[in-house]
Amino acid sequence: MSLSILSALSEDLLVRVYEFLDPPCRKTWRLVSKEFHRVDSLSRTSITILRVEFLPVLLSKYPNLTSLDLSVCPKLDDDVVSRLALDDTVSTSRLKSLNLSRATAVRARGLETLARLCHALERVDVSHCWGFGDREAAGISVAAGLRELKMDKCLSLSDVGLARIVLGCSNLNKISLKWCMEISDLGIDLLCKKCKDLTSLDVSYLKITNDSIRSIALLPKLEVLDMVSCPLIDDDGLQYLENGSPSLQEIDVTRCDRVTLSSLVSIIRGHPDLQHLKASHCVSEVSVSFLQNIKALKHLKTLWIDGARVSDSSLLTLTSSCRALTDIGVSRCVDVSDIGMMGLARNCSNLKALNLACCGFVTDAAISAVAQSCLNLESLQLESCHLITEKGLQSLGCYSKRLQELDLTDCDGVNNRGLEYISKCSNLRRLKLGLCANISDKGVFHIGSKCSKLLELDLYRCAGFGDDGLAALSRGCKSLNRLIISYCGELTDTGIEQIRQLEHLSHLELRGLKNITGAGLAAIARGCKKLVYLDLKLCENIDDSGFWALAYFSRNLRQINLCNCSVSDTALCMLMSNLSRVQDVDLVHLNRVTVEGFEFALRACCNRLKKLKLLAPLRFLLSSELLEVLHARGCRIRWD
Amino acid sequence: METEDDLCQNNWGNSSSSKLREPVCFTSQHKWEDASILDYEMGMEEEPALQVFDHMKASSGQEHNNNNNGGQVNVDFLQGVRAQAWDPRTMLSNLSFMEEKIHELQDLVHLIVGGGRQDQQQQQHITTDLTSIIIQLISTAGSLLPSVKHNMSTAPGSALFPYPREANNLASQTLNNNSNNNLAQDFDLPKPTIVQERESHVVEEHEMKDEDDVEEGENLPPGSYEILQLEKEEILAPHTHFCTICGKGFKRDANLRMHMRGHGDEYKTPAALAKPNKEAVPGSEPTLIKRYSCPFPGCKRNKDHKKFQPLKTILCVKNHYKRTHCDKSFTCSRCHTKKFSVIADLKTHEKHCGKNKWLCSCGTTFSRKDKLFGHITLFQGHTPAIPLEESKPSAQRGSSACENNTGMVGFNLGSANQESPQPGFMDGKMSFEESFSPLCFDTCNFGGFHEFPRPMFDDSESSFQMLISSACGFSPRNGGGGSVSNTSL
Repeated sequence: MSLSILSALSEDLLVRVYEFLDPPCRKTWRLVSKEFHRVDSLSRTSITILRVEFLPVLLSKYPNLTSLDLSVCPKLDDDVVSRLALDDTVSTSRLKSLNLSRATAVRARGLETLARLCHALERVDVSHCWGFGDREAAGISVAAGLRELKMDKCLSLSDVGLARIVLGCSNLNKISLKWCMEISDLGIDLLCKKCKDLTSLDVSYLKITNDSIRSIALLPKLEVLDMVSCPLIDDDGLQYLENGSPSLQEIDVTRCDRVTLSSLVSIIRGHPDLQHLKASHCVSEVSVSFLQNIKALKHLKTLWIDGARVSDSSLLTLTSSCRALTDIGVSRCVDVSDIGMMGLARNCSNLKALNLACCGFVTDAAISAVAQSCLNLESLQLESCHLITEKGLQSLGCYSKRLQELDLTDCDGVNNRGLEYISKCSNLRRLKLGLCANISDKGVFHIGSKCSKLLELDLYRCAGFGDDGLAALSRGCKSLNRLIISYCGELTDTGIEQIRQLEHLSHLELRGLKNITGAGLAAIARGCKKLVYLDLKLCENIDDSGFWALAYFSRNLRQINLCNCSVSDTALCMLMSNLSRVQDVDLVHLNRVTVEGFEFALRACCNRLKKLKLLAPLRFLLSSELLEVLHARGCRIRWD
Repeated sequence: METEDDLCQNNWGNSSSSKLREPVCFTSQHKWEDASILDYEMGMEEEPALQVFDHMKASSGQEHNNNNNGGQVNVDFLQGVRAQAWDPRTMLSNLSFMEEKIHELQDLVHLIVGGGRQDQQQQQHITTDLTSIIIQLISTAGSLLPSVKHNMSTAPGSALFPYPREANNLASQTLNNNSNNNLAQDFDLPKPTIVQERESHVVEEHEMKDEDDVEEGENLPPGSYEILQLEKEEILAPHTHFCTICGKGFKRDANLRMHMRGHGDEYKTPAALAKPNKEAVPGSEPTLIKRYSCPFPGCKRNKDHKKFQPLKTILCVKNHYKRTHCDKSFTCSRCHTKKFSVIADLKTHEKHCGKNKWLCSCGTTFSRKDKLFGHITLFQGHTPAIPLEESKPSAQRGSSACENNTGMVGFNLGSANQESPQPGFMDGKMSFEESFSPLCFDTCNFGGFHEFPRPMFDDSESSFQMLISSACGFSPRNGGGGSVSNTSL
């Protein structure tokens, strides 16, 4: 009967229904019937490829894809791309977005082929392809319609490559050049001269000077400018922005050492519509002129002045004039105390995010005031606020029903009672309790029983809690995908085995758990199939049986830390050859592994490794052939 | 004859009209003197004589405008001279006009003499009038030029003003003297004899320069300089200065003078050590500048060439001759491709050879990046080219042949099945020995693993699967289930 109802639905109705589904449900959907599968194939617009073998098949199966993510597809290289180009069944003409982050094995030739294949390409991400340089940039520049480009940490990219991109893709709207350390003023100048449509520019960490800012100021449509930690830029440079870039809405000058408040004042004066001002760790003191000028910013939503000396009175003045603020960062502002915070809570009732990390004088009174007035609060960072106790957390539990993120790392005052109060924030997604030594199973039990939406939990060095607490967590927080229980010394196999219930777990840190053995690890490997990141450093008692299970079941593992583990030659070889998606491996201080063991293990996975940490002496003991291949495939080796 | 006239006409007309477009008004005496100084230094100037000359013409015309009604006529007349350069009738009318003017002037001077008072203003009037007459005279003489120059080789001493340059000097000198009494004397002075002084280097037929020849070099009118031509052997000789005592040769005379000090005290006097320069006594007549001709027949720098362009100095001659007419025997030791015949050129090249050449897609190279970027900004469609040499190792499977990997220490252990790792190394590092336990491959049968029987970098996933299933007892995984489930959603 149900079949007949389903067959009565026309295809466009099915498509409509399909659009309401979450990605996991869509997976089930396509298994229902051929009809449903067809709808899925035609409606799907984005895909993340995990194994390069299936790339051509999947591309031909889903003809309407617009977004293709190849960032976690370790074996992708130029050959795959050129084979793809020869395959007629593959249609890539609709692809608009291409994510090649960390795809270090794709080089200039592959990029050029891809750019030619995908005529409609608008967004490309090649961030963290550390070997990319001018040739690769020239390959990308073939995609003339490009609008967004992310090139973070393309370490060899120089002005010449940037010039190729700028001249090839003149319609660029967004470009991120973070950590492209070779870029100089000349490149930025050319970029600003040729790409007049630029709305977002990230030049963080570049060694550019004031000349670049002068060029940037000439961009008529620039809205977002990120220039974190540009050590050569000073106030004279920022002065250019006062009368330039008229549509600027967001500026980030975090950690620009030579920038002072006076230039920020000039920027504020020139841009009354500024919405986001991020000036963490570059302002030393909030001055009167700054307070007077910031009054004019009626639309200011974000203000980060972490590390500045802000007195309570100036915080009051500040918040009373900028009542639209939703995100305030005053971490490490040691002068901030309850009076200032209460004023802030009174004035900014729309507050969504508040960063009070390392504000040592903030007490429960301030937290209560914030919780009571700012009912929309979603994120609260209270790291190292030692005066906060259960009282403050009580009001958070009572009032902050929308709280999603709470950082209580290193807050001595947090105890089991406090956790009980916090557990009332039922929408909590991320909770950090690292270094809270006063919590035990009882408190963790409250979290596990009530915070069912929790996605991330950090219990780093919470030595007080043990197997029962972990069992409660594993039972209650089913959607947890990130769990940090490093150095929780009480934990044993009994507790660890419970983790297998967390099916969605992808990031697990078990560092320094001396009591767990192969059995515990095997249970995790069997249960948590989605595990992507696993830290087993200093888990000295895990024997080969655990690693063999890991090698067999955790096929999605992408990053693994095996430092100081007692893994044997064979187990390591098996891990490295079987874990076909592993990209990032730390293999330091493996006492039981011989040079040959390393050689074999690395040979088995050298075509997919992107990052590798080894003991320095191995540099001379591994065959140069292997090292060359690793290098050629874009693997970066850190010699410890 | 006809064509030459035309050429001449064109030249005059062109040069003057272009200059006259912006008439500079020299009104003060001081300015005139400046002009004359400029004139003496003409050797250095780019387009010397004519300019000064034209200034004079222009200003003289204006002065006349102020003085009398005949001013306009005067200018017209000047142009007339230029337009119909070689017309006896025009010449006649010119002469009669001048005669008239001189009479006028004579009357004026008579008047002054009769009146007994010397007015400053009147004196100035006379001076300017005289100047204009002189200039007219020169122009008239200049129009005779083509006909004169034929006779020059035969009768070089003809007392004419063959070229504007001399005329110009004369004019300025006259002005310097600033007295009409000296005029006659000055007229006797002209130095056509200079032409005579040239010994063997007979100036033969020059042709007037064509307009398209003005692009480079100085704009010296032909004949305003002396032309020297060295022989090939002379040019290529390593030394040009020889010691009269011991015969040692030197490239520079300064070096010779330094050398001479060793031959006795008489060579140590300041006078002996001083540069044996042109004994330039100020106020003496300027010597005719020297220009050089290349001995290579057919060369543009050869005086027989139609569009002859003289070389300025002996050094120019040497470099020109070596660069253009000799083998390029010096090869760059860096790139081994570029060749030079002048060592200095090689040295200049070697300084920059191998450094980053900034190359544009249009083929233009730049020594500096900012210049390249300026070029790119300026020209649509030009992009910086990426040099080929620094190509990176391609990320190909089995591309182990890539040798240019930096940071790879060539410490090859051979293949993996070499059993003992560098013994000496292990001895040196005790801590290291702890990290790597001795071989323990007995636990599991690696089969043919030692030899790596399968292709070295085979990326088949199941390479160890058999091992696992046999060793651990896990059932082999269903490989087919991965196709869709492996894609995260």
